[in-house]
Amino acid sequence: MSAATSVLPAAAAPARRGPGLPLVALLILPIAAVNALGFLAPVLNLLRMSFYEAQATGAMAEVYTLATWATVFGDGFYLALILNSVGVSLAITLLTLACSYPIALYLHRASGTWRTLLLVLVISPLLTSAVVRTYGWIAILADQGLVNNALAAIGLSRTRLMFNLTGVIIGLTEILMPYMILALLAGFGRLDPRLEEAAATLGAPPCAVFRRVVLPLTLPGIALGSLLCFVLAVSSFITPKLLGGGRVFLLATEIYDQAIVTLNWPLAATLSILVLVVFGAALVLYTRALRAML
Amino acid sequence: MKTSTVLAAALAAGVAIAATHALAQQTVTLMAYSGLFQERYTAAVVEPFMKANPGIKVEFFGLPNSAQMLGNLRAQKAAPQADVVIMDVSVSKAATDERLLVKIDEASVPNIKDLYPSTRIPGIDGVAVTFDNLMLLYNSDAVKTEPRSWMDLADPRYKGKVAFNGMPDIQGLSLVLILDRARGGTDYLRSVEKGIAAAGEIASNVQTWEPKPEIYPVIVSGQADIGLGWNARAQVNARVSGGKLKAVLPQEGSVFQVNTINQVANGPGKDAAAKFIDYALSAEVQKSFTEVMYYSPTNARAQISEAAIARTAAKSMDKVIPVDWIALAKVREPIMEQWRRKVIPLSR
Repeated sequence: MSAATSVLPAAAAPARRGPGLPLVALLILPIAAVNALGFLAPVLNLLRMSFYEAQATGAMAEVYTLATWATVFGDGFYLALILNSVGVSLAITLLTLACSYPIALYLHRASGTWRTLLLVLVISPLLTSAVVRTYGWIAILADQGLVNNALAAIGLSRTRLMFNLTGVIIGLTEILMPYMILALLAGFGRLDPRLEEAAATLGAPPCAVFRRVVLPLTLPGIALGSLLCFVLAVSSFITPKLLGGGRVFLLATEIYDQAIVTLNWPLAATLSILVLVVFGAALVLYTRALRAML
Repeated sequence: MKTSTVLAAALAAGVAIAATHALAQQTVTLMAYSGLFQERYTAAVVEPFMKANPGIKVEFFGLPNSAQMLGNLRAQKAAPQADVVIMDVSVSKAATDERLLVKIDEASVPNIKDLYPSTRIPGIDGVAVTFDNLMLLYNSDAVKTEPRSWMDLADPRYKGKVAFNGMPDIQGLSLVLILDRARGGTDYLRSVEKGIAAAGEIASNVQTWEPKPEIYPVIVSGQADIGLGWNARAQVNARVSGGKLKAVLPQEGSVFQVNTINQVANGPGKDAAAKFIDYALSAEVQKSFTEVMYYSPTNARAQISEAAIARTAAKSMDKVIPVDWIALAKVREPIMEQWRRKVIPLSR
C-alpha cells in the first residue's frame, strides 16, 4: 500500500491546501521576469523581424511585408525542409530511445557503488561539449577511420558513414543518449520490482511481464525522454553541420546559412518561428499522451 | 538630496577624467576577421600605426566572418562601438544600403587617390583594401602531377576526395561562375546553366560541401586530396605545412574576392578612424601586409617584393574574370535554387 501512495502522489495532492494566490504569484515572478526578458522579448523581436523586407543585396529594410512568409509557404523547398527536419528528428529520437531504454532499465535496478559508477559513466559525456564529441565521431566514421579500417581488415568494403544522413543520425543519437537515459530514469518512479515478481509468480512469461507491466509503467519516462530528445534534435545544429557534409538539409542548418551566409535575416527569423511552432506541436502531443497514460 | 549631490559630483568627476583621457588618448576599434588575419594584420598594420601615432590606440575586435560584423553593426546602430570594419564587398553593400557606414572620400582619406580604379565600387561607402582569388588546392603527397584545370576536380580518381565550400558560400558560387565562362557562358547575370552543369559533373566526387573547421587543414591532413580555397590563406598554409598543401591557379582563370575597409557611421573614434583607414591604404602598409599574408594590394604605388607578388594573383591579372558582386547579389537566390536542384542531388 505504501508503494501505491508513493507512486501516485498526485492523488493525495488535492486534499492538501495549496499556498494562496499572492504567494504563488510572488514565487512565479522571478522565473516569469527572466523568461520575459530572456525568451519572450527576443522571440517577439524575431517575429517582428520575420516581417521585415529582405532586399536582394542582403540589406534589411524595416518595412513590413508578408513576402518572406509567402516564400516559405509557397516554396516546396522550405516545406520539404520542415518535414525532413521533423522526420529526421523523430528517427533520431526513436533510435536514441531504443539504445537508451535497456541501459536505463538496468540502471534503475542496479544498486550501490555499481549504480553510482554506471550513472557517472552515463553522465560523463555531458562534461565534454557536443563539438568535441562530434569531432570524435569524425575520427571514428571517416573513410580511413576506426570503423572503415575494421571493415577493410575483415575483407568488407569501406562505406561512406559520414558527410551524409547516416553520420548525422549516428552522431546525434550518441550525443542525445545521456539526456534520454536521465529522463527515462526520472520517469521510472512507478516501476517497482515487486510488481514484476508478482506478475511472474502469477505465471506471466518474461515477455508478457515486460509488455503488460514494465512498459506501461515506464511510459511517462518514455514520453518525457522522447520530448526532450526530439526538441534537442530539431534544434541541434553543430552536429549536422559537421557530420552532414552539406548534404543534409535541416531547419537549424538552414537558419544558420540564411543568417550567416546569405544575410537573409527575415527568412532566418521566419524559419526560427517555425521551429518554435514545431516545438509547440511536440509539447501538445506530449501533454495529450501524458494525460492518456495517467 | 545628499545622495544625489554625491552622485552628481562623482558623475562630474568621472566625466572630467574621461574627457582628459580622451584628449590624451583616442581609441579606434577595428572590426575584422579573427584568426590568422588578426594575427598578421595586427603585426603588419595595427602595431606600426600605433607606433607612428602614439595618441591613438587601436583595438582589434576579431570575428570569424563578415555576416557577424554586419550583425554587430545592426545591433549597435543606436550606439556604435566599432569605428572601422574590414569585410567582404557584398556585405559592405548591405551595410551601405542600411546607412551604417560613412562614405570614404579623398578629403578624409587622401591615400585613396593612389588606389586602383577598381577599388572604388559604385554604391559602396567603403573602398577595397585587399584582393584575394580562388585557387585550386591539393595535397602534394596524394596528388603527384599538378592539376591544371578546375575540371580535374571531376577526375574519377578523386572520388570521395574533393572538398570545398559549396553554395551559398561564395567559393561554390565563384566556381560556378568560372566554369560557366570556361564552358562558353557569356552573361552570368542572365544564366549560369553551363556552370551549374559543370559543377554537377564534379558533385559525385565531393566528400564534403562543408569542410570543417576550414579547407586548409582538411587538405594538409589528407582527409581530402583536392579542393578550393582563397589564395592568401592557402599561401600561408602552404608555407606552414612545408609544401604539403599546394595551390595552383588553373588555366580557366579565377575570380577576385574583395575585402573593403569601411568607416562606421557615428563611431566613437571619429577622425582617428579616418586616419587609420588612410594608413591602412598607404603604399608602405599595403606592401608590408601583402608580404606577410599574400593578399593582392589595392594601392597601385605599393612596391611589393618579387617573392611575395609571385604568390598573389597580381601577376596574372589577365586570368582574373571580372565579377560584379553587387549585381550578382540580385541573382544569387535563383542560382542557389539551381544548385540545390541540379548539383547537390548528384553528390548523394
